[in-house]
Amino acid sequence: MEQLVRPSAALALLGACVVAALVMAHPLALALLAVILLVLLLRTPWRRARLFLLGIAVSSFGLFVIWPLTEHKGSHPLWNGPIVPVLGSIDVTREELAAGAVQTLRLATVALAFALWALMLDHDRLVREARLARRSVLTVALATRLIPTLERDAVGFVEALRGRGVEVEGLRGRSRLLAPLVASSLERALTLAESMEARGYGRPGRAPVLRARFNWRERAALAFSLLLLVSSLLWL
Amino acid sequence: MALNTRIAHVERLAFSYPEATGAALTDVSLELERGEVVLVLGRSGSGKSTLLRALAGLVPHFHGGRFSGSVGVAGLDTRSTAPAALAGTVATLFQDPEDQIVFERVSSEVSFGPENLALPPAQVEKRVVAALAAVGAEHLLDRSTRDLSGGELQRICLASALALEPQLLLLDEPTSQLDPEGAAVFLELVERLARERGMTVVLSEQRPALPLEICDRVLFLERGSLLLDAPRRQAIEWLEENAPVFVEPPESFDKQGGEPGRVICRMEKIGYAYRPGIPVLENVSLELRRGEVVALAGPNGSGKTTLAKLACGLLETQEGEVVRHGRAGYLSQDPGRYVVCERSEDEVALGIDGDLARARGWLVELGLGGSERRHPRDLSSGERERLGLAAVLATEPDLLVLDEPTRGVDPGRKRELSELLRTGASGRATLLVSHDRAFARSVADRVVSLAEQGVLVSA
Repeated sequence: MEQLVRPSAALALLGACVVAALVMAHPLALALLAVILLVLLLRTPWRRARLFLLGIAVSSFGLFVIWPLTEHKGSHPLWNGPIVPVLGSIDVTREELAAGAVQTLRLATVALAFALWALMLDHDRLVREARLARRSVLTVALATRLIPTLERDAVGFVEALRGRGVEVEGLRGRSRLLAPLVASSLERALTLAESMEARGYGRPGRAPVLRARFNWRERAALAFSLLLLVSSLLWL
Repeated sequence: MALNTRIAHVERLAFSYPEATGAALTDVSLELERGEVVLVLGRSGSGKSTLLRALAGLVPHFHGGRFSGSVGVAGLDTRSTAPAALAGTVATLFQDPEDQIVFERVSSEVSFGPENLALPPAQVEKRVVAALAAVGAEHLLDRSTRDLSGGELQRICLASALALEPQLLLLDEPTSQLDPEGAAVFLELVERLARERGMTVVLSEQRPALPLEICDRVLFLERGSLLLDAPRRQAIEWLEENAPVFVEPPESFDKQGGEPGRVICRMEKIGYAYRPGIPVLENVSLELRRGEVVALAGPNGSGKTTLAKLACGLLETQEGEVVRHGRAGYLSQDPGRYVVCERSEDEVALGIDGDLARARGWLVELGLGGSERRHPRDLSSGERERLGLAAVLATEPDLLVLDEPTRGVDPGRKRELSELLRTGASGRATLLVSHDRAFARSVADRVVSLAEQGVLVSA
C-alpha cells in the first residue's frame, strides 16, 4: 500500500507524461521516457502489472507492424509489396520504419503512463478527497474493486458446476456463466449499498479529509512532472 | 425524575417484503434497554434479519414493502428518519464481511462512517484509532483489505461499526464464517465492549451455545412472530421445552453400520501451496472409505477447503498422490450463490443429463417440492443452500465432499442435514469440512483436524 500516491501527484505525473509523449519528436527522448516509466511499472506488484504490460506489448507491436504499411513516405525502399485496393502500394521504406518506431514509442509511453496511474493511484484517497462528482468517483472505485470479486465468483461458479460433474468448456460454456455472474454481483452490490447506507452514506455534508503532508514519493512525482513538462515543451 | 434507560422500542411491527406472499414480521413488540446484550434466535426465515434491519431503519427505507406499527431508536422514529441519518446512533454488522468492504485500505474503511457523519478530520482519526484498538486490530491500520483473513475482515467491519460510536449495535450472524475459537474471541469482545460502553447489542446467531452464555436476554422468533422475550435463564428453560435443538447438543447418530467398505479416495503425503514458499498443506495423508463419514476440522486458514478440493479433483496435486475410485461430488461454501439456471428443476438436472424426473425427486427429498419451476434466486437463502445440495446429491457421487454445509443454517435444519447425510452414507464416502464441531461429532464416524500449518491430526 505504501507505493500509492495521492490523486494530485498521480494526475500531475500522468498529465506531464502524456503531454511529453505527444510533444516530443526525438526518438531517444521518447525512448528514455518510456524506459523510466517501464522501470517504475516493474516496481509495482507484478501480478497486476503483467496484464498492463501484455496489453502494451501487443498494441505497440501491432502499431509498429501496421504503421509502415499504411504510410507512404521516403525514398529508401526496404521491401516492395503488392498493390492492395484502398491501401494502394504496400511497401516499406526506411523513413516509414523510423516514423513507425516513433509512433510506437509514443503509444507505449502514453500507455505506460496510464498503467502507472492505475497502479500507483491511491483510489481510497481519490474517493475520500473528491469534491466534484463524488458519487461517480465512488462508483468507478467500487467497480474497480468488483473486478477481483468477479474473478473469484467466476472461479466459484466453475467449481460449483465441476462439483456436479458439469465441465465448463470453451467460449460457449463460459459465456453461459455471464448472466449468473452478473446476477451474483448485483446481489453483492445490493448488500454493499445497504451496508453503506447503514454507515451514513448519503447524509448531507461530509467531513473534509485530513490532508497529510506530501511524502517523498509524491514530491518526487511532482518535481519529475514539472521538469518533464518544461523540458518537453522547450527543448525536446 | 426516573432515568430513561430505554434505547429502542418496537410496537406492533408488521412487515412484508415487496412481492412476498407472507409477512416477514407480524405484530412484534419489544423494548431494548441501554447496555444489554440481546440474542435473537429462530429458524432460517423466521424474521431475525428483518427485525435487525427494522431497528436500523433499513426496513422499510432500503427494502420497500408494507410496514405497519412503529420502531423508535433513541427517540427517532425510523419511518421518518432515513437509515443514513440513524448512522450515528445505530450501527449494523452484516453476515458476510466481504460484501461490506468499500475501500482498499483498512484506515479508509474504518474512516468511512465517521466521515459520513461530517466529523472534523482530527476527530475522525481519533475514532479510527480507538475503534481499531477496541477490536485489537491497530496493527492492520495500513493493510489492504484484500489481504485480510475472514476473521480479520470481521474485526475490521466491527471496528467500522464501532467508529460510529453507536448506542445500538446490531450484529447479524457475525460469527457464521469464524472457527469456534475465532467466534468465542469475537463474542467476548462484543460483550466487553457492550459492558464498557453501555452500548446495547442485538445479535442474531445460528450457533447459539456461545452467545447464550454472554447474553442478558433472548428473543425467539417463529414465522415472523415473537414467541419469547425473556431473561437468559428463563429463556434457556423455555428453549429446552419448546425449541430444544437450540440448547441441546446435536443428537449423535447410530454409527454401528459395520466396517467401512473399500477405499474411495486415498491421499498420500499431499503438499500444496498457492504461492511459492508458503505451503497451505504439508505431508497430509487421508483415506476415505465407502460407508464412512469423515469430518475435517481446523481453524480458519488451515487448508481444509484446499484438501477438500484436492480430494474431489478440483485442484491438481502439487506434491503427493490422490487416488480416487468412482465419481466425486463437491458442494462448495455458499452454494446458494452459485446457481446458474432459471428454474430450480433445471439446476438440479444440469448434472444428470437433464433428467427432470430425477431432479424433481431430489427436490422433494430436500423439502423443495413445489419449487420446481421457481427461479433459484427467488428462493430463500436456506432453500438455495438445499437446492445446491440437491444438485450435488442428484449426481449420486461415490465421494461426496461438503464444504461448510452448516454455515448460516439453523439448528433444526442441521439436524435434518445430519439425517440426510447418515441415510445415504452407506453408499458413498463422505468428507465433511466443518468448523461446527458439535455437528461434525454428531454426524461423522471420525473427526480429523488440520492444524494451522496444514498437518493432519486425529481429533
